Amino acid sequence: MEDQILPPESLTSEAIASRLTNNVSEQINNGLIKKQNLVYLELNGCSGNIISLLNGQNPDFEYTLNSMVDLRYSNSLMAAEGEQAVEKLMEVLEEDFILAVEGAVALKNNGLYNVIGRWEGEPFTGLQAAKLLGEKASHILAVGACATHGGVSAAKPNPSESVGLQSVLPEKKMIKLTGCPVHPDWFLGTLAHLLLYGEPETDNLDRPLMFYSTLIHDRCPRRPFFDRGIFAEKLGDKACLFKLGCRGPVTRVDCPTRQWNGHVNWPIGASTPCIGCAQFGFPDAMEPFINYDTTRIVEDE
Amino acid sequence: MNRKIVINPLTRISGFMEIDVTVENNRVVDAKTKGNLFRGFEQMMVGRKPFDAVYFTQRICGICSAAHSMASSLALEDALNIIPMEQGKYLRDIIHCCEYLQNHIRHFYQYTVPDFVKIDQNTLLQSDHDDFRLPKKVNSRIAQHYFDSLPISRSAHEMLAVLGGKAPHNHGVFIGGVTTQATAEKVVHLDSLLDEIIAFIDVKMIPDVYEIAKYYPEYFQIGGGYGNLLSYGAFNDYEDLGTLYLNPLVSTLNSIEIFDEKKIKEKIDYSWFQSPSSTYDPDELMPEPDQDKEKAYSWVKAPRYNGLPYEVGPLARLILSGNYNKGISAMDRTIARALEAKKITEIMKTLLSQIIPEIDVQSKYELPETAEGRGLVDTTRGALGHWLKIKDKKLSFYQIITPSTWDFSTRDDQGYRGVAEEALIGTPIQNPDKPAEIGRILRSFDPCMSCATHVYRSGEQVKTIKVF
Repeated sequence: MEDQILPPESLTSEAIASRLTNNVSEQINNGLIKKQNLVYLELNGCSGNIISLLNGQNPDFEYTLNSMVDLRYSNSLMAAEGEQAVEKLMEVLEEDFILAVEGAVALKNNGLYNVIGRWEGEPFTGLQAAKLLGEKASHILAVGACATHGGVSAAKPNPSESVGLQSVLPEKKMIKLTGCPVHPDWFLGTLAHLLLYGEPETDNLDRPLMFYSTLIHDRCPRRPFFDRGIFAEKLGDKACLFKLGCRGPVTRVDCPTRQWNGHVNWPIGASTPCIGCAQFGFPDAMEPFINYDTTRIVEDE
Repeated sequence: MNRKIVINPLTRISGFMEIDVTVENNRVVDAKTKGNLFRGFEQMMVGRKPFDAVYFTQRICGICSAAHSMASSLALEDALNIIPMEQGKYLRDIIHCCEYLQNHIRHFYQYTVPDFVKIDQNTLLQSDHDDFRLPKKVNSRIAQHYFDSLPISRSAHEMLAVLGGKAPHNHGVFIGGVTTQATAEKVVHLDSLLDEIIAFIDVKMIPDVYEIAKYYPEYFQIGGGYGNLLSYGAFNDYEDLGTLYLNPLVSTLNSIEIFDEKKIKEKIDYSWFQSPSSTYDPDELMPEPDQDKEKAYSWVKAPRYNGLPYEVGPLARLILSGNYNKGISAMDRTIARALEAKKITEIMKTLLSQIIPEIDVQSKYELPETAEGRGLVDTTRGALGHWLKIKDKKLSFYQIITPSTWDFSTRDDQGYRGVAEEALIGTPIQNPDKPAEIGRILRSFDPCMSCATHVYRSGEQVKTIKVF
């Protein structure tokens, strides 16, 4: 059978992601890789990233949970509650673990604007948790806009004084997965890479190049309209959405080719502008999201 | 023998909540629910472009973001005097239906089931209490369904994305209904996913919830609360289709009336907020955060209708629409969510059958210099309201009253507790060291919290309402 010719492997984003994660599972099963602990912290945010991860398809959440990592803590999913839950979080501190954080760190009132539990009878704040676990983690993933740079939780006037995770862990290296929310592939693909080969190659802003290297604008199926100067005047138009405020020209991520929710659609597919949710500075620097005044003069703010 | 139980975090909810209860002779005699995060969306909205509210306010919540796109679109339509085309409404409501399905399936399997079913597949899903009663065979079947449900709720989000671009935080819902046009391909895509979801609900979800109910019968007697129910209406007011679910209604144990939005007031006597008046109309003022306030114990405010706390959500809707009459309790609430999922699929089938492909419902919208609008809509967890004002073409005011604000409010100046607080009163606690009852009752409401720290005060007099 040695001269058998195999069909070429599929090169879709989906197929590559799936090969990567199947490889992880195989290596774990063969004892080549040790299953690692994962702590998933939700801080000051909307818990939209963990919901997005449940939408993951290759790997799906069940596979991740049972084959790739030992998920030790998740406010949204764990069965334990109250101090017993926080106790499980503290137990992990004695072991090796990868830390994933979604949501921003609220600094106001010494962190009391975001209390994530109780420990030894006292409120346990997101700020305490971020520092305590961040200092000890073997790798850190900042998941979604609020964790990478404050995101919507830190939008002006920022009443909770929220900041991104790096601000409270200035010395720690972390992988920043921007997006609002993060696409499940960006997170799970990064995690698979971490388990198989260590940290993936990142750009100067700590984003994995495998997902965040190319401008949306450069791979947009509506680019030919832009090149010919044919622009949408309202949502729902089939032409380039640039003049309505599309942030595709400044946002580096693979939405146009990867697409969302089983790779079926994305914001521009719904004939709406990209709002730059995967770009640092989202939301304030990306507004207005939608503007019909396509000949406006930008005022200096 | 008086004893205090504090649970923080209450896991398997969206957001952060602490619950403090006082137990006397193994019964709950007092309860406080406390929200544990604050971001200040209302303050953030001021000065932003009105159109941006549709995408911005979705970031309030990751599991029910489409709900906020609905309420803000309705509020903007009200402010700009825009009547959407029926086709736009149909498509928008289909997106909203997808979120209902995603939420109800995830809430039942990922949030509720671990309270009653031992799931041994993963240590993360192992509970601390030991009140598991299902026979081994039934238990392992439902435990398997925990995992079987994952691709199903994922499909509900896939449907949402087919029309809305992505989920969570969709781009499709907007002024005028929806941004995109239906195509034959999309309709068929949605319909085929819907059939899979319907099969799952019929064959697994509804039988599972009744199976759990059979082995935990006392949960039909606890977690009831005041029994006041409110809905802003859901999937109603279509030109040709009339009402597919229910019109705006409120009821107490002895009366039912048409909903009147003028009777909504919000109170902040026990919430970490300051304002010139601690009782106000939703469109009247925006309180400022203040964590040093005496008496206050939560970030959740206290909305009242006609001065009373009201329960909102699937059980309220099913009872008000005449689709359910068994009772009001923790178990009824959990059953109602599963039954409502089925109801939503029927509504979707009707709406899908009405879709005409390639109709563009969008136009170029002009912002008024000044305007006011409000959007009231029932969503996964109940009644949601957005109130906004526009000045100089920018947002000058934004008020949001979410369903969980109704269900998880603080007490008020009249001595009424919040709905969930009241639902806990009188609950027998079998084992105060491992209380399973509290979490089960609170999760039956499907809480979605924004919350805070903690001040314990004892000995306050609280009014109770006779429930008989």
